[in-house]
Amino acid sequence: MKRALCLFLLAVFALALLLGCGGDSENAATDSSANSVIAYVGSNIFDSSLDPIKGSMPYGYSFVTNALLRVTPEGSYVGDLAYSWTVSDDALTYTFDLLPDIMFSDGSNFTAHDVVFTYQTVIEHQAENEEVDLSRLAYVTALSDQVVEFVLSEPYSPFLDVTAMQGIVSADAYDSEAFDRYPIGTGPWVIAQYDPNQQIIVHRNHHYFGDAPHLDQVTLVAMDDTTALAAARSGQLDVVKVNPAYSFEDVAGMTMVPLQTMDVRLLSLPVLPLQEKEGMTVGNDVTADPAVRKALSIGIDRQTIIDNALNGIGHPAAGFSAKLPWADYIPVDDNRKDEAKEILAAAGWIENDDGIREKDGLLCSFDVYASEDRFALVAALAEDAAHLGIKIVPHSSNWGEIAEKMHTASIIWGWGQQSPTVLYSLFSGEAALTPGGWDNAPTYINPAVDAKINAALDARSQEEANKNWIAAQELAGKDFPYLYLVNIEHTYFVRDGLDISPATQVPHPHGHGVPVISNMKDWKRN
Amino acid sequence: MLRQKPRISLTPRSKGSTRLNTRTRLVIAVSVAATYLLGVFIWGWFLDPSSYAVHFESQFIPPSWGHIFGTDFMGRDMFFRSLKGLSNSMLIGLLASLISSAIALAFGTASALFGGKVDKLVLLAVDCCMGLPHLVLVILISVALGGGATGVMLGVALTHWPELTRIVRAEVLQLREAWYVKASYKMGKSRLYVAAKHIVPHVIPVYIVGLVLLFPHAIMHEAAVTFLGFGLPAETPAIGVILSEAMRHIATGKWWLALFPGLLLIVAVLLFDTIGENLKRLLNPASAHE
Repeated sequence: MKRALCLFLLAVFALALLLGCGGDSENAATDSSANSVIAYVGSNIFDSSLDPIKGSMPYGYSFVTNALLRVTPEGSYVGDLAYSWTVSDDALTYTFDLLPDIMFSDGSNFTAHDVVFTYQTVIEHQAENEEVDLSRLAYVTALSDQVVEFVLSEPYSPFLDVTAMQGIVSADAYDSEAFDRYPIGTGPWVIAQYDPNQQIIVHRNHHYFGDAPHLDQVTLVAMDDTTALAAARSGQLDVVKVNPAYSFEDVAGMTMVPLQTMDVRLLSLPVLPLQEKEGMTVGNDVTADPAVRKALSIGIDRQTIIDNALNGIGHPAAGFSAKLPWADYIPVDDNRKDEAKEILAAAGWIENDDGIREKDGLLCSFDVYASEDRFALVAALAEDAAHLGIKIVPHSSNWGEIAEKMHTASIIWGWGQQSPTVLYSLFSGEAALTPGGWDNAPTYINPAVDAKINAALDARSQEEANKNWIAAQELAGKDFPYLYLVNIEHTYFVRDGLDISPATQVPHPHGHGVPVISNMKDWKRN
Repeated sequence: MLRQKPRISLTPRSKGSTRLNTRTRLVIAVSVAATYLLGVFIWGWFLDPSSYAVHFESQFIPPSWGHIFGTDFMGRDMFFRSLKGLSNSMLIGLLASLISSAIALAFGTASALFGGKVDKLVLLAVDCCMGLPHLVLVILISVALGGGATGVMLGVALTHWPELTRIVRAEVLQLREAWYVKASYKMGKSRLYVAAKHIVPHVIPVYIVGLVLLFPHAIMHEAAVTFLGFGLPAETPAIGVILSEAMRHIATGKWWLALFPGLLLIVAVLLFDTIGENLKRLLNPASAHE
């Protein structure tokens, strides 16, 4: 009897404890009415230094620091720390006029010397920063407190992208160790508290030269996706990065917001037959047939694939996003199954009894290797390609295995960045057959494309560069070395009453999570 | 006068028990368990891959008559996928156990028979292997061999021999002192001959029990390593893969993804254990009272 009573009391106690916990989380929810926000934007931000000199925020969000230029939501460049810039006729000298009266978050003045210091320190410690390539920068010098001049050793049109990405830090305050967690810049936010792998608390920078942020404080927390979803449900978070797979989950008091990205998912299709080339095994006998590559590109139904694998989130893509000035935007006109089948039949691929095409005893089948998070996309593609008689065998893989297979099998890639140098990585024959790295997986070598790429890199103006970048894509597009699938969208749950200003969000670069903070100063509670 | 019946019976029989004796019951238990497991294994082996293929139009269907274990995020039928997964796990477990027990038999016998340096070497290997946590060692070996089915299989195979080696060694040490073994030596037979003709046949019962008891270990470790992402690739139906995928959907209330495959795994492991324990009593009755 005593035992039973004890058990009963224990149960009551446990229940009370549980209810008590529930009460706490209710409090947290109501607490969000204060002018602060708690956000989960993935845990990548905790994995590396916050110091821009070591490559933090390489896509140029104005968070703690600013770059000389910034990208607008429409994809063009405008001044940020600089108000105007000129490029010399020989495309070797870039001169930036800096805004006056800008202060760092510690109250000291920002001048051209800070710019020079930042770039010089990056060059001196290039090994610590793989995000920015300054190898063609001969020197940088301050012509006055308000004017800075960069001189290149050879023309390099993507240098302008670099100046829009590289955050500037305070030369006087710079301390390599301290800046890993508490960098001092001119940005709208200042790091107030950094708890490794727990949280980063930022406060409004009172010295910020632009419009002051609406919020007083933002806390970025470290969690994993499923914990974050649970925390969102219990009302503890205001902004939550969410995988498209869960994006239609019902979370009380929150709305799912899809944000546009410049990130595409594309398959590399090896263009050479299987062979040894310069000591490397490259090529694939099935994808080497242009008919197979073209049939896939026009025959698959991208929208169905997106509906199946990504809950319908994202846009069918046949090239890079129209938001990028250098992209050769191609409207999607796919699901032309009959036309695709005719192309395959004309090339000698005839369906066998299993519904898979064959040519001279070779089965029209190839392997696709995908990192785990992209497996569903490839599985959905495989299901659709089966209607064409092409058997795609999806493999869920790791990057080690992908590195081994990237030249002989198809790989699903994710590319999305403001700088057109991605086109060099994808299409340049010079980048093919270089062991290590992820460049030119299909071993696509076309001298005409290379000429356009080199013309773009050497261009004297952005217009000329973009014209050549587009021409390079047009030329390469005729050979279908890649099968573009989708321009993905990044999905977030946002608490009702919080406006994350989708209109001022720049198209997100690669990496779901952090890019949402690019316009955090425009977030406000209604 | 009525004489009372004697109350003492020579055959103890508890109230309500059936007329089956212990031995028969053990045999029945072993047969039932073995039939179930063999059934799962063979069914899974010959399963048509289209039964657990991707059907995006039927994502996340809770358990129903059409899909008794429900479907997952790619619309795959979880019953057939789990069945195939368990079957795959059993195949890997079987191969791993066979390799493992063969190593154990060879090492154990050699160690006891040759003694001296061989014995020391084997014991050192056993200690080395047991000194590291099993799972860590399995992951190490699996990753070093490039992962996949071969990696996991060899990983499990190369880590599960030490216990059985010790048991076999202890058994052989006893047998070595037996009169008939000594007699055989005196008649000029070689060590190999004695091992093959006199020792191994006597170790077989212990060996078989050890082999069966290795099974659940092997299956659990395969599932665990795969769960952690170091084993079978995600496109293979395997219980570890299924459970790790299910973890991602627990937060959204898709309970059936974890529950049924998990139950299937536990039942299989428990049944193997039952078989092993019962076989032990059948083949080695003297130890039944331990």
